Amino acid sequence: MARFLMRSVISTLVTMLIVSALVFTLLEVSGRDVTVQILGVFATPEQKESLRKQLGLDQPGFVRYIDWLVGNDWRLRDELGNVQTVFNEISQEPEWYVLLDDGRFVRHEVCSRVEDIDSGFCQPGEMLYLVRNEDASFFRENAGDVWTTDPETGESVFWGVDIGNRAAKWVEGGGDTAFVSTQTGVQELTGAAVQWIPLRKGLLRGDAGVSLKTTRPVSKTLPIRIRNSAILAGLAFIVVMPLALFLGILTGINEGSFFDRFTSVTSLALTATPEFVTGVLLILVVGIYWSNNWLPGLVEAGFLPDWALESFKVPTTTLADSPNAIFEKPKELILPVLTLTAVELGYIVRMTRASMVEVMAAPYIRTAIIKGMPFRRVVFRHAVRNALLAPITIIMLHINYLVGGLVVVEVIFGFQGLGKFIFDHSIFGDPNAVEAAAMVTVLIAIVTRLLGDLAYTFLNPRIRYA
Amino acid sequence: MTTTVQPESAASRQPSRLAKIWNNVSIIFDSPVAMVGLAIVLFWFGMAILSLFWTPHDPNEQYFRDQRRSAYIMTYLPWIDLEDYDEVTRPKPEFLLGTDKTGRDLLSRVMAGGQVVLLKTRIPLPTDDVRRQDEISALSRLLDRFVPEEWDEVVVPGGVAIWGVIGSLVVGTTFGLLAGYKGGWTEQIVMQIMDALVAFPRIVLYIVVIASLGQGDLVIIIAITVTGAPGIARLSRSLALDIKTRDYIRAAETRGEGLLYIMFREILPNARGPLLVDAMLRVGYAIFTIGTLGFLGLGLQPPEPDWGSMVNDGRELIFSQPNIVIWPAIAISTLVIGLNLFADGVREELSRYQK
Repeated sequence: MARFLMRSVISTLVTMLIVSALVFTLLEVSGRDVTVQILGVFATPEQKESLRKQLGLDQPGFVRYIDWLVGNDWRLRDELGNVQTVFNEISQEPEWYVLLDDGRFVRHEVCSRVEDIDSGFCQPGEMLYLVRNEDASFFRENAGDVWTTDPETGESVFWGVDIGNRAAKWVEGGGDTAFVSTQTGVQELTGAAVQWIPLRKGLLRGDAGVSLKTTRPVSKTLPIRIRNSAILAGLAFIVVMPLALFLGILTGINEGSFFDRFTSVTSLALTATPEFVTGVLLILVVGIYWSNNWLPGLVEAGFLPDWALESFKVPTTTLADSPNAIFEKPKELILPVLTLTAVELGYIVRMTRASMVEVMAAPYIRTAIIKGMPFRRVVFRHAVRNALLAPITIIMLHINYLVGGLVVVEVIFGFQGLGKFIFDHSIFGDPNAVEAAAMVTVLIAIVTRLLGDLAYTFLNPRIRYA
Repeated sequence: MTTTVQPESAASRQPSRLAKIWNNVSIIFDSPVAMVGLAIVLFWFGMAILSLFWTPHDPNEQYFRDQRRSAYIMTYLPWIDLEDYDEVTRPKPEFLLGTDKTGRDLLSRVMAGGQVVLLKTRIPLPTDDVRRQDEISALSRLLDRFVPEEWDEVVVPGGVAIWGVIGSLVVGTTFGLLAGYKGGWTEQIVMQIMDALVAFPRIVLYIVVIASLGQGDLVIIIAITVTGAPGIARLSRSLALDIKTRDYIRAAETRGEGLLYIMFREILPNARGPLLVDAMLRVGYAIFTIGTLGFLGLGLQPPEPDWGSMVNDGRELIFSQPNIVIWPAIAISTLVIGLNLFADGVREELSRYQK
């Protein structure tokens, strides 16, 4: 058993490594320009080039992959000194600082603010320390002569940490013009650094990086989405499992009856209907009920997704985009859960039925019936236990498939879950977010497969893992 | 099949090759389930083929787009108010199922929707037309080097779903047979890669592939190939593990046949039954997937109709004009149900045949 688990863990890690490399390569060869997504289509080539450099995208792909995996602070320690993260209590996000020998945490900035120059605090182009206070605020201090001479070019350069958590390389007296995207638009900044490398700890050390789309750490936004999806999938699971197993057992016992035929055809139809068709048709049915006022109490705004409300000429709710919307309006969950139920139900009913039919034809069931055991007892004591072996394994494997269905269902209903997260960020071309989400889905897939294997072992004493 | 009946084989009372194939195929007539499935599938094939030559209207013509430009409206429907979507999309004698919101005939589009899925694959080539640059994938740029200058699109017979499944069969059997036959480290490595692909949820892989390689028929074929191959590899590996213990494989090895010969001439023909049934099911999945991708706005190239995109386009008008959504939705579901019934029936018949 221990060996089996050991092998599983190693295989899981290898799989995750392969998948992460695959996703990275795919996003890399895409040629999809993420700077256009951030700056908009009207950005000039200079602005896009500047942003590329600020995001560190001018580095080769494999270097960025290694950075993503194991971080780059250790690699940049020669240039930067003792660089560390300090947790900011106000924004609840970690920030990068250089720890000086005197115990102060500092970041760097080139003197360029008009008020500093006018007051004689510093000369333009001089290096400033942004010294961190205990309460995460900072004050400016003249850094003095920190420049070192680059042996290759002869320029006097300085590597520091800028306010955007990046390692930045400044050149004394020179400096490029950078374009910084702010709330009010793109600003031109003179005296900026010539090279940037976003600092990160790497996934293996628990840092999933910052999303380019939301500019927030992935580790802040992703867990909420996972929770939402888990609630959605969990509710669907609670509805589907008893119903599907009950129907499957019932049809399996009454093989060939009208009820069996009807249920089998219905489950085939449900399985073969794509999620988006089921979802859209459900919306249609509910909408018709609503427009005729047949379900006045149940149906109200928030129940249907925004795009459907628009066609209804009903004012839309603005709640849908908030990640916590499901707690404020639990009714939003009803249709997505129903859609997932419809899609999963047919599959599990079919599996359970097939397994039940097979078991009911086994000699030991015939023996039990012939010796006069009550039929109910035969079914529940002897048949069901054996018949549920196969479905449980298959259902565990099916959770992997369910994640795919979640993407579609969440996109239809505008549900802020893991699926929509993956969809939105893949379309945006956001490597950190997609990588982190892919790791989560791979982990779900592997863990459920292992659980299926283990459940099978416990339920079936004939199988033992070496 | 181009096989001709040989006179001497008839003389020696051996069943001809054609008759043998017919014998194999005719088992589907024993299964009512398979026949129902086949009927549904053939119906949609027929519709798609018919739409190549005739549709009630041009599927891509926007009949209600602009009153000044469309002679059709001036002649037949002069009273219509083009601002009123309900009025425009409602079924009329000329448009039996109504039109979509840009005024394209729904019946023609539903009929022609099967073309890209079942009958043809379009590969656009780079042209000077700026509007189309986004649709051009890296792959069609490569293809552009090998075809005449003036072509701007290559159309290959066989739909996207069909080619996707063929692709995953080729990739899947190659790796699966290799792993099953060679065993050892080869098997470990191949199956580890395939496991990684399986663990990667399908739809995520599709989105990442399409988001990175761009939209287009060819990209979707690749996406279906990549996601379908692991399943087929697993199946063909298990078949190869069984078949490689047979005497005829030993005989071929003793003769000194090469690896590829044994994989594809000795093992593959003996594994074709389960592989074909699996492939039939996979065509259903592929159609399912193409529809889903179309719905997510990542599907085949517009403007030619594609059922999934039609559902997506029409969903905003779902309450005023449900026809736009319902008909393509029915088309996808019935076709997939048909393929499933057919594959189920054939599998059942085959297993009965083997007993």
